[in-house]
Amino acid sequence: MMIFVGPTYTEMGLSPEEMQQRMGKWHLWSQSMEERGVAIKGGEALHDQVTRISGPDRVIGDGPFVESKELIGGYYIMSAPDRETVIKEAKDHFPDYDLGSSVEIREVMVFDQ
Amino acid sequence: MPHEQLVDHLFRHQYGKMVSILTRAFGLQHVHTIEDAVQDTFAKAVLLWRDQLPDNPEGWLVRACKNRMIDLLRQIQASDNRLYKISGPTSIAIDAAFSPDEVADSQLAMIFTACHPSLAMEDQVAFALKTISGFSEKEIAAALLTKRETIKKRLQRARTRISREDIALIIPTGNELSTRLDIVLKVIYYIYNEGYHSTQTASLVRDDLCGEALRLCKMIIDTNRQIDPATYALMALMCFHTARLAGRFATDGSVISLADQDRSLWDDRLIRMGHHYMSTAVDGGELTSYHYQAAISAEHCKAATYQETRWPTILHYYQKLATLQPSDLLQLNIAIVHLEAGNHDICKSLLDNISPTALGNRGYLWHATKAKYYAKTGNQNAANQELQIAITGTTNLSEQEYFIKKLASLQAHL
Repeated sequence: MMIFVGPTYTEMGLSPEEMQQRMGKWHLWSQSMEERGVAIKGGEALHDQVTRISGPDRVIGDGPFVESKELIGGYYIMSAPDRETVIKEAKDHFPDYDLGSSVEIREVMVFDQ
Repeated sequence: MPHEQLVDHLFRHQYGKMVSILTRAFGLQHVHTIEDAVQDTFAKAVLLWRDQLPDNPEGWLVRACKNRMIDLLRQIQASDNRLYKISGPTSIAIDAAFSPDEVADSQLAMIFTACHPSLAMEDQVAFALKTISGFSEKEIAAALLTKRETIKKRLQRARTRISREDIALIIPTGNELSTRLDIVLKVIYYIYNEGYHSTQTASLVRDDLCGEALRLCKMIIDTNRQIDPATYALMALMCFHTARLAGRFATDGSVISLADQDRSLWDDRLIRMGHHYMSTAVDGGELTSYHYQAAISAEHCKAATYQETRWPTILHYYQKLATLQPSDLLQLNIAIVHLEAGNHDICKSLLDNISPTALGNRGYLWHATKAKYYAKTGNQNAANQELQIAITGTTNLSEQEYFIKKLASLQAHL
């Protein structure tokens, strides 16, 4: 699983032209991944409004809880031969490092039946 | 729909379109909220379209922008504690605003609003580039070589003026249309020139500004209104100029002089378009400065080689132009034409009558011309000196390189 962390494009004040360029980059990335042995199985983009329920009293709170640069903007679930392939994929091809965004990689647990 | 088919600048152009239509539907007083709504919608589209484009991106954007705006208005109204329903006549008006004719009219009305005489020229330009052309503050600042803060202030000033003076989003009629169109053309011409004479190396910005000016002018022509011939002349002028852009720069970005340009790189299609608009422009009515400038550019396009350039014809147009709007820069151009035509002495006396300081940041062109005059009349040392001054006087890197090359070739002959 790749988790994308960073402020939203709106928050960064990207112009329409820049947004279109970003979209093109993401598209190229997702289209070329399969050639390198990584297949996207699913994924979603997330709204930035966060509601958190916590504590024994189940207190409901509305964010922000973290700075926007630590906000999760979306995720991909993918299948790949091994963890290293996914790390390399994200390291070499994630398009938004220059905007200060980052990628977190987590392996989904598989339970034997 | 494959991603590659997404039209160049689709977002930027749609931005202006969406802002105009929504402003028509919701009112100019909401223009800031409207811009937010459109911006939000694009951000959403980017995420949604990453993997797969919708079949009709434009239709998607129209619907999403409209919905987002209604959302935002509801939020505002809720916080104002006012009861307001977007239904009935309002929602019909909104739907009608999205019909193709209305879209064209809305954009046109936006251009005329941006060019309202109550706004200063610099504010008009900034507001037009932001709301109609979809440039960000940062991009406008980069294109106009100013600070982002300055652009922000200009936009703020324009918005305040528009709301304070209750300026309406309308297309003027009758005499007022003609007066306002004058300003619109000036703004378009300004945007084009900023792009064409861009004093920086980033050619992308340059092409974008030129392209935008062409698009705005085309928008006015396409509305099929009774518009002044000057509009067609300006369009022709920009076509002729743009047609020759590809030959103006070498692959390394350096400037190639008109004499050395590969004319096969000039864009035939644009030249033909230029002639087409020109024939409408001269069909009755007065001849404006745009007409003469277009005619000069057309002459260059017509000459198959540099040697075949009809300098006397060009000189004639320049002189006409000088009677319409006399300026030192124009006199400099006339001096250059005389030099090309071999009238060295006339060139010299014209140059002597102009002060390079009066030319402002184009002063380096005077020195470059003087250098060329000296080189042609065999005074290499003086040419050398003038070129050095020209080099220090220009901030445009590719032009600087051009002069440095000239200087090197001069010194090789010493």
